[in-house]
Amino acid sequence: MSACRLALAGLLAARAAVAQAPATTTAPATTAPATTAPAAGDEPAWTILVGHSYSSARALTQPATFTLEQERGQPLYTVMDASALLRGSLAPSAWLELGVRARGGSARPPGERAYGAMARMYGDLDPILLAAGYEYLADGHFEVTQPAAMLELTPLGGAPGLGTWVSPALHLRWRPWLGVSWGKGVRPYARLSGECVSGRVEAGIETTSWLVRGSALGFVAGDLSLRLVGGLYATASGEAGRAPPTFEPSGRFGVGLGFRLGPS
Amino acid sequence: MTRKDERGHRWTDLGVERAVIRIVRRLSPGFGRRPITRKTRLHTDLGWDDWYVLRVVKPIRRTLHETLEDRVVLALRTVGDLVAYVWNRMEDA
Repeated sequence: MSACRLALAGLLAARAAVAQAPATTTAPATTAPATTAPAAGDEPAWTILVGHSYSSARALTQPATFTLEQERGQPLYTVMDASALLRGSLAPSAWLELGVRARGGSARPPGERAYGAMARMYGDLDPILLAAGYEYLADGHFEVTQPAAMLELTPLGGAPGLGTWVSPALHLRWRPWLGVSWGKGVRPYARLSGECVSGRVEAGIETTSWLVRGSALGFVAGDLSLRLVGGLYATASGEAGRAPPTFEPSGRFGVGLGFRLGPS
Repeated sequence: MTRKDERGHRWTDLGVERAVIRIVRRLSPGFGRRPITRKTRLHTDLGWDDWYVLRVVKPIRRTLHETLEDRVVLALRTVGDLVAYVWNRMEDA
C-alpha cells in the first residue's frame, strides 16, 4: 500500500518558538515592582516564530521535523517539514501573521512535496477569535496549486476543557474550528483538536474534514511523546487521510527523537 | 510605589498582582483550589492553549483599565509575566 510508510530510522524534531516574550518576573510584588516586562510602546514590532504549527489550530505540539522514512521497496529518504511565522500587531486586538511552509526531502517524490505561503489576520472578538487570510499551497511540481482565501473562527473558551485543562487531575483540552475557504470552489471545513498530558507523556490529535464537491474528505494526525529530559522527547507521530492541495490518500508513521523549545 | 491606569486610577504593584491573580483564577476553573502565584505557568500549569490566553484581555481592560496588545499576551508564559506587563503599561503616578 503506497500510502503507508514504515519509518525505520529516527526522527529528529526541532522547535524554536523565538517569541520575544517579556522576561519572566518572579520577584514578589511586595518587594519589587515588575519592571522587566515591556512598557507600553516598548514591545517589538514583529515576533518570529519558527517551528510553530502552520495551521491556525496549533493542536499538535509538532515541531519542524526532519525524518528518515522508507516506503516499501524503496530506499530511505528524508522528509523535512518546517514552517515559520512572522507576527506583528495591527491593533491591540488584532494581529497579522505572514508564513511560509515547506514539506519535502532529498528523495521525496515531488508530487508528495508541499509548499505554501500565507498571510492571515486575527481579530479577538472575545468570546470569538476570527481569522481571515489568504493561503497558497502547491505540490512539488507546482502542477497542483491551491490559492485560497479563508475565514475561520473558534470560541476562546466557555466549555469544560475548551482551551484549558478539564481538571487538575485530567490534563485534557480540546478546541474546535469552523471555517470556509474560497479557491477552486468553496470548501467548508471543520477541525477538532485535542491534547492530553499525563506526567511525562503527551498526546495530541487533530482531525479536519473538508467538504469537497459534495464529499467529505478527512485527514487526521496524531503524536505521542515521552519527555526524556528537558526539551528532549521520544516521539511517535502519524497521519492519514486526504489533505490539500491534492486530496490524494496519504499516510505516514514515524518514531524518533524530538526537541522542543518554547511554550507548549 | 503606585502607578496610574488609563483612567487615572492609582494602583500599587501588590494591588495589580492581586487583581490579575483573581482574573486568572476565574478563568481557570480546572485548576481547582491550588494557589496561583507569579510563578504559575499559563500553558503548563493552567493548561491554557495559545488562544485561551487571550481571555485575560477583556477582564483586565474592565478591571485594571489597561488595554493589552494581543500579540504580546500570546507570548506571555507566567502569571508574573502578565502582572509585569500590566504594571509596565501603567504610568508612574
